[in-house]
This record gives sequence, C-alpha cells and structure tokens, in this order.
Amino acid sequence: MHSIVLIKQVPQTSDVQMDKETGTMIRSGSTSILNPLDVYALETALQIKDRNGGRVTVITMGPASAVKVLKEAIAMGCDDVYHLNDRAFAGSDTWATSYVLAKAIEKIGIPDLVITGERATDGDTAQVGPAVASWLDLPVLTYVASIENLTSDSLIVERLIEEGYQRVQSPLPALLTVVKEIAEPRLPTLRGKKRAMATNIVTWSASDLDADQAFMGLRGSPTRVVKIATPKVSRQCRMVKVEDDDSLIEAVDQLFTFLEERDLLGGLNA
Amino acid sequence: MNTSYTAITPSILEELKAIVGEHNLFTDTERIENYSHDETSKEQFSHMPEVVLTPISTEQISEVMKVADRYTIPVTPRGAGSGLSGGAIPIHGGIVLSVEKMNKVLEIDEANLTVTAEAGIVTNELNEQLKRTGLFFAGYPMSLETCFLGGNIAENAGGGKAVKYGVTGRYVLGMEVVTPQGEVVQLGGKVTKDVSGYDLKQLYIGSEGTLGIITKATIRLLGVPKYASNLLVPFRTAQDAISVVPLIMKQGIIPTSIEFMDKSSLEMSCSYLNESLPLEGVGAMLLIEIDGTDEQQVEHDLIQVGDLCSGHKAMEVYIAEDATTRERIWSIRRNIAEAIKVYSPIQSLEDVVVPIGSIPLVLPCLEQLSGKYNMRIPCYGHAGDGNLHATLVKNPESSMEEWLEMEPRLLSEFYAFIVGELGGKISGEHGIGLKRRSFFKDVTPRPEYQLLCAVKQALDPKNIMNPGKILL
Repeated sequence: MHSIVLIKQVPQTSDVQMDKETGTMIRSGSTSILNPLDVYALETALQIKDRNGGRVTVITMGPASAVKVLKEAIAMGCDDVYHLNDRAFAGSDTWATSYVLAKAIEKIGIPDLVITGERATDGDTAQVGPAVASWLDLPVLTYVASIENLTSDSLIVERLIEEGYQRVQSPLPALLTVVKEIAEPRLPTLRGKKRAMATNIVTWSASDLDADQAFMGLRGSPTRVVKIATPKVSRQCRMVKVEDDDSLIEAVDQLFTFLEERDLLGGLNA
Repeated sequence: MNTSYTAITPSILEELKAIVGEHNLFTDTERIENYSHDETSKEQFSHMPEVVLTPISTEQISEVMKVADRYTIPVTPRGAGSGLSGGAIPIHGGIVLSVEKMNKVLEIDEANLTVTAEAGIVTNELNEQLKRTGLFFAGYPMSLETCFLGGNIAENAGGGKAVKYGVTGRYVLGMEVVTPQGEVVQLGGKVTKDVSGYDLKQLYIGSEGTLGIITKATIRLLGVPKYASNLLVPFRTAQDAISVVPLIMKQGIIPTSIEFMDKSSLEMSCSYLNESLPLEGVGAMLLIEIDGTDEQQVEHDLIQVGDLCSGHKAMEVYIAEDATTRERIWSIRRNIAEAIKVYSPIQSLEDVVVPIGSIPLVLPCLEQLSGKYNMRIPCYGHAGDGNLHATLVKNPESSMEEWLEMEPRLLSEFYAFIVGELGGKISGEHGIGLKRRSFFKDVTPRPEYQLLCAVKQALDPKNIMNPGKILL
C-alpha cells in the first residue's frame, strides 16, 4: 500500500500578529511549524503502513525552510520526501498549489491513497486536498474520521458531518482529508531524527514537473485578494434583572420574545 | 512563643475599614471561606479567618500591621492560595491579608535588566508583559498560570526549570517588606553584589510570610532563549530512569529540566488527559528540556543527551521540537498532581529533596513503604534537582481514621530516611508551612531549631506574623 501525504509549513498561531493597518498577517519573526492538522494525515498513513506494509511518501511545497517539516515527517517514520521549491511557485493560491502538487504526484506515480490534513491553519480554506483530487481525477473523501475496511482496491470510511457520521465506500486510488479524531499522532523519535539528518532531500523545481508555468505562482492564480478586513464582533445584549418569582416569570417571557423576534426558537414555541 | 491573641471586635473592624476602605474588607462567611485553605487538603488543614483584607498599597499594609501589632492580632499574608504546605491558612483566625489587588508592573528597566512589580502579579502575567523586551523572569513554578510573585518569593518557589535556572531566590535583587511592626523597609536594590550588612533580603526569601509581608520586588531578568527542545524517554524501571540522571548532569550540558514520572503518575495523567502515549512495559519516563540561543547547539546537546539515554537502558527516545509536541508532553507532566487528585482527593503531596547522587536510593524506600502501609505512592518531580514529589494517596478502601493514623507514621519513617540516611531535606520548594511543622521540628537538630526560633523572636516578638507556620 503506497500513501502520499501532502503537508504544509504554517506560522505558529500563538506567534501570529496582525498588521492593524492592512489587516494582513505579519510573517516576519514568527516561527514556522508543521501545520498541526497535517500531523493526523501523517499518522493515518503511518498506521496504514504499520498494518498493511508499503511506503509513505511526503510532499511539501514551500520555501527552503520547509525542509524542516519534511525532516519531522521522516523522524515520525515516513519513507520518502519531496520538496517542491521554485520561485515560480511563489504566491500560488489553492488552485495553483493543487496543480503543482498534482503534477508532483503524477511524476511519483499515482499511489493507492493521497492523504491530507483537514485544512491548513493559516489559509483555512480546506480546498487544496479536494482540488488535487480534481486535477488527478481521483474520488475525494473529506473529513474522514476513521477507516474501516481497507483492501487493495477499495475502502470504507466514516466521514464527520454536521449530523453525525456518514459511511462511504470508495474505490482506490482515492484522496482523503482527515480530521483530528482519526488517530493520536505518534511522537517523533531520536532514531527517526538521525535518519532525517542523514537523508538527502529531493528538491523539484517547476521544470522537473513537466508542468505548465502559466498555471502556477501569483500570475497563475485566479484568486485576487481585493481587500482584507477583520470582522467586527458586536454583541447587543439586554440585561434583565431577576429579584423575585414575579420578575423571574417576566424575564423568561422577555427571553422568549427576544428569541422569537429573531426567529431563533425553531419549532420550540409550537 | 506567644499564641494568645485579641479577637477582632467591631471597633477594630472599623479601624481596619478606615485604613483599607469598605471595598477591601470582608467578613461574610461565603467570601472568607475562600481564604481558609490553600492547595493542601481542606479536610485536614483549613481554618477560617475573622476578616479578609485586600489592601491596595504598601502604606495601607503598613497601617494594618500597626493595628495588628497594637492589639496583638495574627496576620496571615496570602498570595494566590496555590501553596502546598498550608502557609496561607490562618490557623489562629485573625486577619488574612491578600495582596491580590497589588498586581501591577511598576518598572521595566531594560538597561539594568530588571523588572519591579507588586507582589500580587501572576507569574505568567509578568512574563507576558516582558515579552516585547525579549527578557524573562526565569522562575518557573508549575502553578505559573495562577501563583503570585510575592508567594513565589515567600516560598522561594522552584519548579520545572531549576536545573539550569535555579529557584526564585536567584532572581530577587531587591524587595520592599512591611515588618510585623508596620515599618516599611527596602532590602537589596538593583545591584548584583551586596555584602553591606547581613543579607536580610535572603532571610525573607523563603520565610513563608512569618517575618513580614513582601509588597514589591525587583527581579533580575535574562534574555529569552530562542530555542528549546525536549526529549521524552521511557525506561523499563523507575530505577533505570533515575540512575541516568546523575550521568546526564556529568556530561557538561546543563539541561533546563530533567523531570521524572513514574508509572502510576504517567498512567493517571495520561488517562486524565486522554493521551494515548504507549505505556506498555514502561516503568518510568524522564522529560528532559534543553534550551539556548543557537539552534544547532540545542540540537547537538539534545542528541548527545538522547544518545546517553539510549546507551543506558532507554526503551525509546522521543523528541519534541515544535511547540505543539512540546506542549503535549509537558502537559502530561503538569497535570499529574491534578490527575492524582481525581483518583483520590485525600492525599499528601510530598516534596523531599536529596543530593542528586542519592536519587536512586529514594525509590526503593518508597516502594517498601508503599507495601508496608498498603498505600499507592505515585512519584514524580524534578529529578535534576534531586527534588521528588512522592504523593501519598489514600487507599479508596481505607477509612479516614486509618488514613489519619497511617499518614504521619509513614511520613516519619520516610523523612527519617531522607534526612538521616541521605542528607536530604523534607521540603525542596513547597515549604514547611503548617503541614510539615512538627516533622520539621523532629528532623532538625536542636541548636539549629533554636537559632530559627531566635530569628523569629527577634523580628516578630509578639508572634503575630503568620503564626503557627514553620516553627511550632
């Protein structure tokens, strides 16, 4: 069983400061870490390898510093890693990023599973995973919370949805985006770290990928950031003081009227 | 020592109200109940005060002490109430004087690398306010999210980073103290050396509020180390884990922390946190932290310490280099005390400290006592300092009477071994307070005990300053 995991380096959220003037993130000086939700994707792939054998390959696209997250993946037990690094990739939106990642997967060879985290904690779009599936024409299963039955040509998963869980069967190869509850990530080991230090990381540029440069980077990205605004949260609360039984009943009435006016009671008042 | 005190009358209350204002004085049972205990067992140690005061200035505290001195009223100073030895419990009633409203940073002096703050500031908050300067206060009590600076100094708090950074006292350059008679004295200052007279500042550090009330302090700051990484190392037996500690210290690398967690502590904390760390066959773990300003150096030291563990019976060496993973493993260590409380709220959290070379000898003694008294004794703590928190936990099947009878007998045996055989002390960082005062008297040679009494007598002849703590 071969899994390819897509991971990303993101700013550490506790370090992030916003520029009050422009509303954008101040990236300088902030520490970069492996996207915390991608650790679950790595763990999922490693557990599949533990149970079924095979290999775990990891790809990241990003600047030179992104090598660090690939080394972490090796320290956890992943086998092969690829670093997609080229000025031509800079400024890519989710569409362009997913194109580049898909091209890298094609070059490696379509695996049994492509696994990603639910989303990255910086952009928060959750688009790249499904978009990669789209480029590769693979079935996509998002918000996967558990894998029930994995065979060489199909799997059954439970997807976390608003109402609970949804069981879905899919043929392989497929792309999964996984949620936190799928697995408890293992800790990296010193043995793994030493292996990571000794590993020569393969770097691929745009020309290595047989990819159309018009589809990548800022120019290849259809997304245009027109304006960034920080939403203003305003709460209009009404205080009702309860002093005795009479005012308690009155307060409950007022609360009902308040909720009714806003159509928030659903079927409760029927 | 005097233990006869004046009860607080309505007219004394009026005098106190005139000093602190009515918003800073309360006597209603519901509110003062919160000030009747700390983190020690409420069933065993709590005692109600007569009045709680929350003054807002040194001048107010000074005036309150003058009233207390005039009428001979006991005054118990209080920080956040996170103490573990009953130091803030008003066992003679009287006044609890809480510094909770004196919580401001007064000056950050970057040229002299100092911060001056009021006693009621929360330790973490102090470091939050220092963040922009790239400096920090290196004291790291495990309760740093709640404990106050004043309490840290009064208890000379240690914590998880003392192997490298030492305990609170190392960083106190100066302090303002209100004496039991209400005099305001300034001890030390911003100087780093001072042999002008007796070192009174040092006397107040760790005095547990028995000699005066610390109202402000000037703290020496260090540059924040930019990089920190951790190792989490499981061993088959606690003995294997503990035996590695002196070897690590010999290497010439000074880790920030070497924390020890035995099997029971790990199981309780992991189950409390829903953490699925593989524990099969694990007898104990060490949590080791290395920090520094050079990323490569930190990595190099981490590998060297990790290799040493691998060569000395470590089952595995886990590494945590990013903030998320580091928080994950530190959280296991920090939550042990809470997790043990969930297992059994009746317990005694101990704090013995021994020369680091003797740490391997503590565990067989605990094992023997655990068997003899049929009591679980999970053990964890700051192995790098020789400071272990063995926790006596009441067997849920035994009665409260049995517990109250067994606990002191077990402790007497344990302390006799720690002090008599190993040259250790009965408290490394939690203090003697109320909880250990009789044991302290038992294990302290008479001439030394008399010297301590003489100091107390000289500074507080009426015994109104936190009476009943440390000394009997």
